[in-house]
Amino acid sequence: MPHIDIELERLKTKLLEMWDLVEYQLQAGREAMMTADAELAKQVIKRDRKVNQFDVKIDRMCENFFALFTPVAVDLRLVLAVLKINANLERIGDTAEGIARFAQKLDEPLDQELLETTKVVPMYEAALAMFTDCRIAFKNNDPVLAKEVIKSDKVLNKIYRKSDSIVTKYMQKNPEKIGDALALLSIIKKLERVGDQVTNIAEEVIFYREAKVIKHRSDKKKKKSSGKDKGKEV
Amino acid sequence: MTNSDINRLKDKAFQVFGVFCTFIGLVVLGIFLIDIIIEGVQRLNWDFLVNLPSRRASRAGILTAWVGTLWILVLTTIIAFPLGVAAGVYLEEYGKKNKMANFLEINIANLAGVPSIIYGLLGLEIFVRQMRLGGSLLAGALTLSLLILPIIIVTTREAIKAVPRSIRDGSFALGASKWQTVWHQVLPASFGGILTGIILALSRAVGEAAPLIVIGALAYVPFTPSTPLDEFTVLPIQIFNWTSRPQEAFLTNAAAAIIVLLVITFLLNGIAVYLRNKQQRKVRW
Amino acid sequence: MSKKQNKLEALNLDAYYGDFHALKGINIAMEEKAVTAFIGPSGCGKSTFLRTFNRMNDYIDGFRVEGQILLDGKDIYQKEVRVDELRKEVGMVFQKPNPFPKSIFENVVYGLKIQGIKKKSVLEEAAEQSLRNAALWEEVKDKLDKSALALSGGQQQRLCIARALAISPSVLLMDEPASALDPISTAKIEELIYELKNDYTIVIVTHNMQQAGRVSDYTAFFYMGELVEFNKTKTMFTSPKDERTQNYITGRFG
Repeated sequence: MPHIDIELERLKTKLLEMWDLVEYQLQAGREAMMTADAELAKQVIKRDRKVNQFDVKIDRMCENFFALFTPVAVDLRLVLAVLKINANLERIGDTAEGIARFAQKLDEPLDQELLETTKVVPMYEAALAMFTDCRIAFKNNDPVLAKEVIKSDKVLNKIYRKSDSIVTKYMQKNPEKIGDALALLSIIKKLERVGDQVTNIAEEVIFYREAKVIKHRSDKKKKKSSGKDKGKEV
Repeated sequence: MTNSDINRLKDKAFQVFGVFCTFIGLVVLGIFLIDIIIEGVQRLNWDFLVNLPSRRASRAGILTAWVGTLWILVLTTIIAFPLGVAAGVYLEEYGKKNKMANFLEINIANLAGVPSIIYGLLGLEIFVRQMRLGGSLLAGALTLSLLILPIIIVTTREAIKAVPRSIRDGSFALGASKWQTVWHQVLPASFGGILTGIILALSRAVGEAAPLIVIGALAYVPFTPSTPLDEFTVLPIQIFNWTSRPQEAFLTNAAAAIIVLLVITFLLNGIAVYLRNKQQRKVRW
Repeated sequence: MSKKQNKLEALNLDAYYGDFHALKGINIAMEEKAVTAFIGPSGCGKSTFLRTFNRMNDYIDGFRVEGQILLDGKDIYQKEVRVDELRKEVGMVFQKPNPFPKSIFENVVYGLKIQGIKKKSVLEEAAEQSLRNAALWEEVKDKLDKSALALSGGQQQRLCIARALAISPSVLLMDEPASALDPISTAKIEELIYELKNDYTIVIVTHNMQQAGRVSDYTAFFYMGELVEFNKTKTMFTSPKDERTQNYITGRFG
């Protein structure tokens, strides 16, 4: 394998390792939220430092790669994509940390009724699924799967849009649980952000494979040109 | 007429002039050759080649002359080749580039231009008298060797110089000594050039009469030499001798002998050209 | 990982061509089994410096060095050091491919033959091994007796590398080994260098900044006979310390 490919492979491997770590953070965050496990939440918060280390390391690797290999064409797009995916992963990691911070403050598990009406669990599941699918899309250089990922962001947005009124109603009904409800609302907001960030990552995967820039396209155009709906607008 | 027209005209004029100059030489040479061939060719036959010289023109042959020439050629090669190549290699590869080297270089170039009769006088004193070789083949070959050494040295140096520096570097970098580099790389690569130089030098030596006359080569030798210490004659001397006779028939003999001499020199030159071309095809840097 | 040894070192090295002070007080230590690149503008002394490691400058009239060059800790400019022995240890590849006007086989085994090795089996084995190491075997195995001059430029250069490897040196000096080659051949040579650094300490002079970036672990920047900066290539190419280095590698020189 040519030298440059070996270096690119190392870069990708590093990024995938970070991806695994962030995925684990998200899962642990969910666990902590559901079970109000303060200890687990604390671990998640602590582990975010590791995510940040990955972020710095990958940034450094990309910088070196640019300096030493002056990549062009597909190599250039890959390194650019890695750079941006890295930034997004870091922020998803921060989100997991944020969720854990809310979970840490919970005294007891969230009200089952609240969880069910807001559909936060399916939303979390959907976000996680997007996240893992996107990883597969990146790993296998699969722009089709990446486009699927972008589409599935719609589910998250739908839940998010409805959550305001649902939570308001709940708070009116259960004024003693306003604190919990607000926390959950924040978590939902964060999950919506995760969806957006995964969408960004998927866009980078498509950019790297197909050299097409699809972010910031209006919905109509997107439907026309690629038949894909991003649903990022809120 | 514009300036460029004038320039074009000048260009054309020079071209015509150049062609004219080239042809003068060729035409003169051509006329000379044709004249010689017409006069000498009917005298050329086997008897002419294998007969001993005689006072009667019709029975005279050039056996002793061309055998002598052959002897001289071989002996001169044996003497001049190693000396000249060794000197050339030394000067080019080993000698330090200092004042002494410059001095040697200039003098070798000068020696190449010294009239051959001077070499004859040198040979007469050193080889014939001091070394008591008499008017023998060896004395003649030594004298001619002196005559062509400068040419061989200069052409050897030129041939060696044409071997690129990178070949030497490559050899040195692999741990080769100077001698190994010269022997395995420089000499093989320049051999064609060196050989060409030697052959051209020899073809000059073949035509020399003056230095050999000075050292006492004979015009009339009634036997073919069998050792290097025998007395001898060579073709140019034979020709010189015949042309100085009053009888018409001897002039015809001379013409025929000239043809033989020319064939020998052309043959040598031909070999030189062939070797040079072969070398150029084989080695291209 | 244990720290690698220093293979080559220069201590207070000055070099002169007659009155011209070509290298000024160079101090450098090059790691074993790593690639060190020398960069710098033409005439900065990098080639001269490279050639001090196998004493190729010895043949230049008026050239002299002061200071020390250490190979495995031993000064190679000591009187008792034999140059031919040194060059068995320190191989060299030149800017222009310079195969000898002989067969491919004869080219590869030249170094062994001049050492007096004559046994055909030994020579053949060495030739195959070196050609394999130089990634040329597959291309030439059926025409070993053909003239080396019939090979393409890139193949010739790999032949020259094979030739250098045949005498099993531990150091390879490369003086702009790809500057006379087309991009594909250049890439092959670079790959080869990357492979070879597992077994050899390599010092390469290059005018091509990208090449230095791609192949080297360490980079030394020379300017006007001085070693301006020496560091890991990564560091050198992302955050050079010296302003002159910065200007040179960004192409803003002079």
